[in-house]
Amino acid sequence: MTATLPPGTHASADDPNVLLQDDFDSYEPIPPYPPRTEREAEFYTLGDGEMYLNMGPQHPSTHGVLRVVLKLDGERVVDIDPVLGYLHRGVEKLCENADYHQTISQVDPLEYVSSLFCEWGPVMAYEKLLDVQVPRRAEYIRVLSGELNRIASHALFMGWFALDLGGLTPILWSFIERDEIVEMLAALTGQRMLFNYFRIGGVNGDLNHEFLSRLGDWMSRAVGQIESNTKLLNENEIFVRRASGLGVIDTDMALKYCMTGPNLRATGLPYDIRRAHPYSIYPEIEFDVPTRTEGDSLARYLLRMEEVKQSLRIIDQCLEQMPDGPIMAKLPRLLRPRPGRAWAALEGPRGLYGAYAISDGTDQPFRLKIHDPSFIHLQAVGALLPGHLLADTMAIMASLDPIMGGVDK
Amino acid sequence: MSAVSRTWDQLTLPGKFLAIVVPLLALLTIGLVLVVALFGGAIWDIVLANLPAVRFVVAVTALLLLSPPIAFVIIYMEMKIIALMNLRIGPDRVGPWGTLLSTVHGLKVLMKEDFTPNQADAVVFTWAPVVVFATAILSALVLPFAPGLFGQDLNLGLLYFFAVGGLTVVGLLMGGWSSFNKYSLIGGLRSAAQIVSYEIPLTLSVVGLIILAGTLSLNQIVQQQAGWFLNWFVVRQPLGFLIFLIAATAEANRTPFDLTEADSEIVAGFSTEYSGMRFGFFYFAEYIGVFIISGLTTVLYLGGWNAPFELPHIALTIDVGSFSGWLLAIVAIVPVLGTLILALPFFLFRSKTRWWVALIIGFVLFNVLAGGLVGLWAYISFDWVAGLFWFLGKTFALVFVFVWARGTLPRVRVDQLMSFAWKWLLPAALLNLFATAFAVVVAGV
Repeated sequence: MTATLPPGTHASADDPNVLLQDDFDSYEPIPPYPPRTEREAEFYTLGDGEMYLNMGPQHPSTHGVLRVVLKLDGERVVDIDPVLGYLHRGVEKLCENADYHQTISQVDPLEYVSSLFCEWGPVMAYEKLLDVQVPRRAEYIRVLSGELNRIASHALFMGWFALDLGGLTPILWSFIERDEIVEMLAALTGQRMLFNYFRIGGVNGDLNHEFLSRLGDWMSRAVGQIESNTKLLNENEIFVRRASGLGVIDTDMALKYCMTGPNLRATGLPYDIRRAHPYSIYPEIEFDVPTRTEGDSLARYLLRMEEVKQSLRIIDQCLEQMPDGPIMAKLPRLLRPRPGRAWAALEGPRGLYGAYAISDGTDQPFRLKIHDPSFIHLQAVGALLPGHLLADTMAIMASLDPIMGGVDK
Repeated sequence: MSAVSRTWDQLTLPGKFLAIVVPLLALLTIGLVLVVALFGGAIWDIVLANLPAVRFVVAVTALLLLSPPIAFVIIYMEMKIIALMNLRIGPDRVGPWGTLLSTVHGLKVLMKEDFTPNQADAVVFTWAPVVVFATAILSALVLPFAPGLFGQDLNLGLLYFFAVGGLTVVGLLMGGWSSFNKYSLIGGLRSAAQIVSYEIPLTLSVVGLIILAGTLSLNQIVQQQAGWFLNWFVVRQPLGFLIFLIAATAEANRTPFDLTEADSEIVAGFSTEYSGMRFGFFYFAEYIGVFIISGLTTVLYLGGWNAPFELPHIALTIDVGSFSGWLLAIVAIVPVLGTLILALPFFLFRSKTRWWVALIIGFVLFNVLAGGLVGLWAYISFDWVAGLFWFLGKTFALVFVFVWARGTLPRVRVDQLMSFAWKWLLPAALLNLFATAFAVVVAGV
């Protein structure tokens, strides 16, 4: 079979011709080209007693279409080679060819479990470009819906994490909360998942009766529900023993990898964009920045559950202080910001969501760079996985909470 | 000829089925009647001469026939109970409350393509599910379901059970090795490591019980636990019971020890490449394994077929012959009368109820009542009915425990699994063994 290939090339599972071949070696997950870097040459050389295991892009628990080629020694992971790009849509390029309003719906599906934050970054950057003052009511609505979305995202994280550790029940329990939040956001925005709700200079619609009544209903029982959901895991000996000491990140490493959000705060550094670089109305709102010092998977999980409680506090205050007024700033239909560049950063459920927009004076952004925390955090996988067991690979990845839509953009 | 084929084309699918099956059944019946009439005496002589062999064949056949329904019941239990724990509804479409869903799953599995991967070792790949299923059936052979209702009463029953049950790992390894898939390979090797490790505490935890019982025959172990539930071995061997239950969970590859088919890690473990009925055999074997291991726990520690308390013995003698001609009248009149009497209140006291609805309610109620009465009569009259009732009750309670664990617990890791077996379960089993031996020798319990 090697005779059919050009000299100096390997057969690979990526190569469609391989399906026609019957050779054992052709099924190894080796790229169909000669190694391009030293690192590639090192990884794709098997040591004594090692084997490759191709995990993904279709696998029950890769959280989307992440493909990881594992080099295993028995069950122990020796080395990994993550292969990205299965969900690449070229969002940033698409945004360059859409006008400012249209880009909002383009960036929506990046991190599809927390779409509001994906919209918020570019919208905030455009507002800086245009020098627009967002009405206070709109800011409150943004914070309110954003925190709800944060809880929904963390609920999903909890379920996934438990599922990757083999627990069947928590994901369905947490989906009850998530479904209720998603339904009430659907009442507010018209969509369950990709909300497309924020507009440059405000939000799309005002709070309505269905949203508020659902929210009030849910808030009255939210704390108890979340407590009872987390009890199943927090007091489970097997879960705690599995998750603790798993994928330990210390503050230095986290800073080296540019980690933000819960993954950084789980190492003990209380860095929260909402406090460090305040935006929107967060300076007016009281909430704590919970931290933990262990830096392992369990700490990351527990920290997210703490954050849910803080989000509930923020929602309470938002509802209390909600001012009257317009929800949109007065802006022309066609936006032509003056040439310049703007950077906006905000604290999403996974960390820093950033958007860097460059305007050349036309009605389309010259460049829109999205800084996505999932991509940043996924880089740490290469350092965290080696040395752990096969069973822990998914658990460590899940505890970093990457969303492949945001990673591949 | 053309007339025949045209008629055949006009038949519907069930019609075609019946047109083949009914003549065949008729021929078979006639043949059987003829054989019995002509050679009945000779056959009976042969059966009586080879009673143990015949008993073996009948027992294996009965177990083979009974295992799919048992597996269906447990699969349905698992689907429904885990659904309720997950706050879902679970199966509710096929049959009343979805009870037929697992049966339909079984039929679906039969109809699916039986696929062998290109590079797989076809012979080993084909025989692996057979080995797994056969060991499950064979180890059920010594299980005493009720007084007189067991496959074989071996005096080495317990040893036989562990020996044959240990063969499961061969089948799993065969499946994992031959599938030409690394997930399968890892699953197979995990199952080998796991079952071999847990075999030791499993067997050692029973040795204390064997010292107390003084026998390896499962029937005699059950008979020693007769009477009050304080006679059960779980009271005298609580630590042994606990170790046995944990090790048995690992032996049956159930959560939290279901590493061999950890779906979030290695897709489906050894059964990744299996499809169709070969996968079905693995699946059945797993659930029959759960039933058998629960049954064995019941037999060893929970008194087997014995009731938890001594019921006063009621001698119920109904001489059917004494009714003579009235029997026909009773059989004819009682159902009608009972249905009418039970339907009457629903018709009289609820004006919304139509008469035919009331009749249906009455009929169902009468059936429930009559069924209950007949069951009660059978329970009182036949030892094996009472024994089967208690045995199945206890066994399915244990099956529920297994399902409950699956609904609530995450999975342990490989190294945790191994260290738990060797560092905790094995010393605990040894402690249990020595404490029991000490008590027997010194205190003479």
